[in-house]
Amino acid sequence: SQTSQDASVQTDQSIDVAQAFQQEVQVDYTSLLLFLQRVEDVVIKELNKNWTSRAFDGFEVNWTDQNETVLCLHTLSYPEAQDQHLQVTSVSWNATGSVLACSYGRLNDGDWSTEKSYVCTWNLDRRGLDPQRPDLVVDVPSSVLCLAFHPSQPSLIAGGLFSGETVVWDTSRRDDPLIWRTGLTDDTHTDPIYQVDWLPDAKHSNHVRLLSVSTDGKVLVWREEREGRLALAEGFALVAQQIPRSAQLKKLTWGEAAVGVTSLSFSHFDPRVFIVGVEGGYSLKCSMAAETPALRQTGSSVPLRAPAELAFSPHAGPVYSVSCSPFHRNLFLSCGTDGQVHLNSMLQTHPLLSLQLSKKYLFCVRWSPVRPLVFAAASGEGDVHLFDFAKSSQKPAVSIKQAAAECPVYCLEFNIKQTQLLAAGDATGTVRVWQLSSDFTEQGPREVTHLEQLASEATD
Amino acid sequence: MTELENYLFSGIPIRTTLDNSTTVQYAGLLCQLTMKARSTVRDIDPQNDLTFLRIRSKKHEIMVAPDKEYLLIVIQNPCE
Repeated sequence: SQTSQDASVQTDQSIDVAQAFQQEVQVDYTSLLLFLQRVEDVVIKELNKNWTSRAFDGFEVNWTDQNETVLCLHTLSYPEAQDQHLQVTSVSWNATGSVLACSYGRLNDGDWSTEKSYVCTWNLDRRGLDPQRPDLVVDVPSSVLCLAFHPSQPSLIAGGLFSGETVVWDTSRRDDPLIWRTGLTDDTHTDPIYQVDWLPDAKHSNHVRLLSVSTDGKVLVWREEREGRLALAEGFALVAQQIPRSAQLKKLTWGEAAVGVTSLSFSHFDPRVFIVGVEGGYSLKCSMAAETPALRQTGSSVPLRAPAELAFSPHAGPVYSVSCSPFHRNLFLSCGTDGQVHLNSMLQTHPLLSLQLSKKYLFCVRWSPVRPLVFAAASGEGDVHLFDFAKSSQKPAVSIKQAAAECPVYCLEFNIKQTQLLAAGDATGTVRVWQLSSDFTEQGPREVTHLEQLASEATD
Repeated sequence: MTELENYLFSGIPIRTTLDNSTTVQYAGLLCQLTMKARSTVRDIDPQNDLTFLRIRSKKHEIMVAPDKEYLLIVIQNPCE
């Protein structure tokens, strides 16, 4: 046991002022009133002038050196994984933005894969970084299909496996990083896991709360139990008959609609709302607060609920990735095998915009964390397309060639802390870290307004 | 357009339409800046004095109406 004693105590200046604010400040209300009457006219006149002023139109200041080009900063790989022809299935930045992890596995064959795979991490801020020697390599007995670093604890990373298991590694433990696992029980997924995510409240809590989605049609939430086990906390199952049908969607064969879930994105504005993408080509708006029991209860220990509230007009093929805008509560992107990106509003069934970015598949789409009008998409032709609605609503602002023409880019992630960095992983087993030009990293003056205008252009 | 206001008394907020922590931040920082702006004006010409302070940023404009005892701070999002 330990005892502790405070050697000294420091009070935060701002807390004192805030406390002073809480108490009733001794104010001479008469003189305050006189002051307000004196300044009222002046201030209102200035406010009105600002409304109509065109003095600052087009006036922008550059405080930092403008970086004009997109550079490849790092080309990272793990040669042993490449020798086995493994592909990069997922990339993730950690909470501090200095460590990049990638998972090796296979995405292009549908066999039950029992070959082992790897999770590799590189600390990019470290001196002596060797791009072919990751700082940490974790051997995993099954193909890892997705990764997600914890939003506030820099060493915890979750992974979803081909076997249907969800696991958590602690990268600060070198000898045995595996600290939590679901194991293979009646509760676990029966299909590969295509995405894992930490729940939005995981940031502020010490407890492990993870979510996994799989092509078995389930979205499962895990919590920590004893001895490194993850137990099912709550779960959702998508069943074709329970998907709400909007009268505006053309008649489709719902009965066999494949509801295997391939992707998920939480709303940044309401942590209970999430969007999923399914193999049938639909994106669905779902809620963690849904209460209707699912028609399919697969013998799991916790009753599964039907989460879908709204179905959106589908892609012509499975959806591979969805992403909710960090700047607008209703906007989200989806992409899939039809090579299109749809910009959707959660308020209407039909997309606001459909962009054909690829003749092959689009594997991943992500909104920029700093530029409201920018998103990136990874294509089957080996390109990373950076789209900027401020520049064009029809074609990408920049297309970065990551890999050779037939070699798909499977995953990409923006770095939230170092906003000029974008990581992308491809089928050759290489991860490239791209440094974006300044126009992709600084928010323009009226971007949010522009985004809101985009969102309110209804197409029906 | 969103318009937010708060009033200050020697760095201590009296009334505000913002949340407490943001108000306290604006209060502290703008009080100091206003004093600096005022001393700049008076250093250049001792017969002169600060009447109004406006700060234009990418996202909005901050206006400060100063006085012997109080400050009125208004934050405005100018429209397109």
